[in-house]
Amino acid sequence: MMRFALTLLLFAFTFGVLSCSPVFSDLILAKVDRRIDLTSQIVRIATSLKVENVGSNPASEILLSFPENQAKHLAYLTVTLNEGKGKGKASSGAGLPVEVVDPKDVPDSLTFYSVSLPKGLGKGESLLLDVLAVFTHTLEPFPEKISQADIQLLLYQDTAHYLSPYKVVVQSLTVKFPEARVESYTKLEGTKLSGSELKYGPFHNIPPFSYLPIIIHFENNQPFAVAEELVREIEISHWGNVQVTEHYNLFHGGAKSKGEFSRLDYQARPYVRGASAFRRLVARLPPRAHSVYYRDEIGNISTSSLWGDSKKTELEIEPRYPLFGGWKTAFTIGYGLPLRDFLFELDGKRFLNFSFGSPINELVIDTLIVKVVLPEGSKFISASAPFPVKQWQETKFSHLDLVGRPVVVLEKNNVVPEHNEYFQVYYKFNSLSMLREPLMLIFGFFSLFVACIVYMHADMSISKSSASYLAKVQWEEVQATVQQIHNIISHCLTAHDKLEASLRELSRTGDVQGCKATRKSVDSLLKGVSKDLKPLVAFLQSSPQAAHILPKVEELIAKERDLQERLMAKHTTVVDCYEKKLGGRDIENRIAPNQQKITALRQEVDDLMDFIDEI
Amino acid sequence: MAPKAITSPVPDSLYPTLSVLTLAIGLVLTASFFIYEATTSRKTRSLAQELTTGAVASVFLGFGSLFLLLACGVYV
Repeated sequence: MMRFALTLLLFAFTFGVLSCSPVFSDLILAKVDRRIDLTSQIVRIATSLKVENVGSNPASEILLSFPENQAKHLAYLTVTLNEGKGKGKASSGAGLPVEVVDPKDVPDSLTFYSVSLPKGLGKGESLLLDVLAVFTHTLEPFPEKISQADIQLLLYQDTAHYLSPYKVVVQSLTVKFPEARVESYTKLEGTKLSGSELKYGPFHNIPPFSYLPIIIHFENNQPFAVAEELVREIEISHWGNVQVTEHYNLFHGGAKSKGEFSRLDYQARPYVRGASAFRRLVARLPPRAHSVYYRDEIGNISTSSLWGDSKKTELEIEPRYPLFGGWKTAFTIGYGLPLRDFLFELDGKRFLNFSFGSPINELVIDTLIVKVVLPEGSKFISASAPFPVKQWQETKFSHLDLVGRPVVVLEKNNVVPEHNEYFQVYYKFNSLSMLREPLMLIFGFFSLFVACIVYMHADMSISKSSASYLAKVQWEEVQATVQQIHNIISHCLTAHDKLEASLRELSRTGDVQGCKATRKSVDSLLKGVSKDLKPLVAFLQSSPQAAHILPKVEELIAKERDLQERLMAKHTTVVDCYEKKLGGRDIENRIAPNQQKITALRQEVDDLMDFIDEI
Repeated sequence: MAPKAITSPVPDSLYPTLSVLTLAIGLVLTASFFIYEATTSRKTRSLAQELTTGAVASVFLGFGSLFLLLACGVYV
C-alpha cells in the first residue's frame, strides 16, 4: 500500500508540472480504445490507436509510454498496422519495429518505446495502430496469504486515462474479468459494470501525460503457474530424430497458502476448499511427437494422458499433488520429433526451425534457457530469434563423441506464451561426417579381432626349453603335417572323382579321346602326389609324438594307393571295351569284381579321413 | 528457392531390419574367424586371411550395432 501511495503522489506531481510538451505536439490520438484482459495471470492490454498528424512535418515514428513500475514487468510488446476499416477486423502483417528510446524533456519515471513507421505519416493523414502489451506479475494478491477455504483476490492498478505523450481526443477503457465477481473498483463518472466487463469512459480531450489511477480488486481462480527456471534441451541427430528434454521448476504465483492443508476437504469439495489451486497442466506438443515421458527425481509420473492428431499432440500432466499458493514442484518432460519437420537446407547451410517458448498453456517463465545441441562436426554456427535473447556456446559430451557436440544456448527472462515463435539456428555440416560414428564402432570391433590374433600368435611361455613346451611344439608340428597329408589325400580323391565323371561322360557322348586325355592328366597328378607324401611320412615316422597316428596314416596312404590302382584299371578296361565296341552288359561283367572293391575301399578311406581330421 | 527438408540417409522404418541382417552376417563371419583360429595350427595359419576375415566381420558388426542403437531409440 505504501508503494501504491508513493506512485500516486509521483504521478499527481507529474500531471501538475507538465501540462504540455512542445516536442510531441505534431501528432494527436484521435481515438483510443483500450481492452485490458485480466482473465488469466498474464495481463494483456490491447490498445487500438487512431493517430493523426496535425503538424506540418511528416512523422516517421510514434512514441508509446509506460510507467516504470509497469514497464519492468513488460514481457511482450508488438505493434501492427490495422489495414481494416472499423473494429472487428484483425490486423495483418508483421509487427512494426519497436525500440526503447530515451527522449529529453519527459518525466523521469516513464519508459518510452518508439514505433518506426514504414511510410511516414504525412500532414493531415491518420492511421490505425494495434498495440498488444503483455505484462507478468502485475496482479498482486490481496490478501497476500489465504487459507485453503478462502477465495483468491487480486489487486490491479492502472490508469483510466491512456498515458501518452500526445493529446487524446476520445478514449474508452474496457476491463474483462475471468468471473463476474469483482470485490471493488474505482468509481469514476460513467463507469459501468455489466457481468464480467467493466467500462470506463468515454473521456474527451485529455492532455498528454495524463494519469488517472484506478484500482480493481477482483477474484481470479485461474491457474497461476509460474516457472522459476525452465531449461529446454533440443538435441539434433542427423539419423532422423530431434529429442527435446524440458526441465521445469514450477511454483504457484498467486496468494500464498497459510494454515494447514486438509486433503479430505480438498478431495470432497475441490471447488470450495482450494478453488485457487490447480491440479493439471496442458501442453501442446508439435504433431508426430513420439516417446513422450514425464518424470521427476523420484521416477516416472503416471498421471498423464496423451492424444494427438495431425495438427498437434496434446499432453495433459497432473503433478503428484495439487499446487496451492507458494507450493513448488519440479519435473521433466521429454519427447522425440521427426527430423524432417524441423531441419532444412538452404544454400549449403542447414538450419533448425523450432519454437522458442514452452508448450504448456498460459505458463509464465521467469528464466528460460534454450539449449540446441548440434551434431559433432557442425561449423559456422549462428542463431537468430525474432526477439532479443542472450546467446553463447557450450560443449556437451553425448553418445559416441570424441571432442563433444557444440551447443547454442539462448537465454531470455520474463517469457510468456506469446513468445512461442520460431527461431532458427544455422550451421554447416558435411554429410560424410555422419560416417564417423559407424567408423568408430567398426574400429572398436576390429581392435577386438586384432587382440585375438595377437594373442594367438604370441608365444607367452616362460621357459623355452622345458619338456612340456617342447612336447607342445612337436605336437603342433605333427598336427600340421597330418593336416598337409589330409589336404593331399583330398586332392587325390577329387582326382578320382574326376575319373569317374569322365567315365560317365564317355557313356553319354562316346568321346574316347577326351577320356584318355583325362586319364593321362590324372595319372601325372597322382604320381606327383606320391612324391609329395614321401617327406611328410618320413617326418611322421621320425617324430615320437605321432606314434598313435602313424599306423592310421600309413593305412590311409596304402588304401588310397590301392584305390587308385583299381580305379585306373577299371578306367582302362572301360575305355578298351568302348574301342572294341562291346555292349553295356559286357562292360559291367568285366568291371564288377573291381567295382565292389572300389566302393568298399572308398568308404574306408573316407572314414579314415574323418578320423584324422578330428585329432 | 524453398528450403529442402533434411532426412536420414537410410529410411527410419528400415533400421530394425537392417540391424538384424548386418548383425547376423557379422556374427557368422566372427564365428568363421574363431573356427579358423581354433582349427589351424601355428604353422599353417595365414595372417592375411585372419586380418581380412576380422576386418570384414568388424565392418558388418560395426554397422549392425549402429543400426541396433538407432532402432532402439538411442539416436547417436
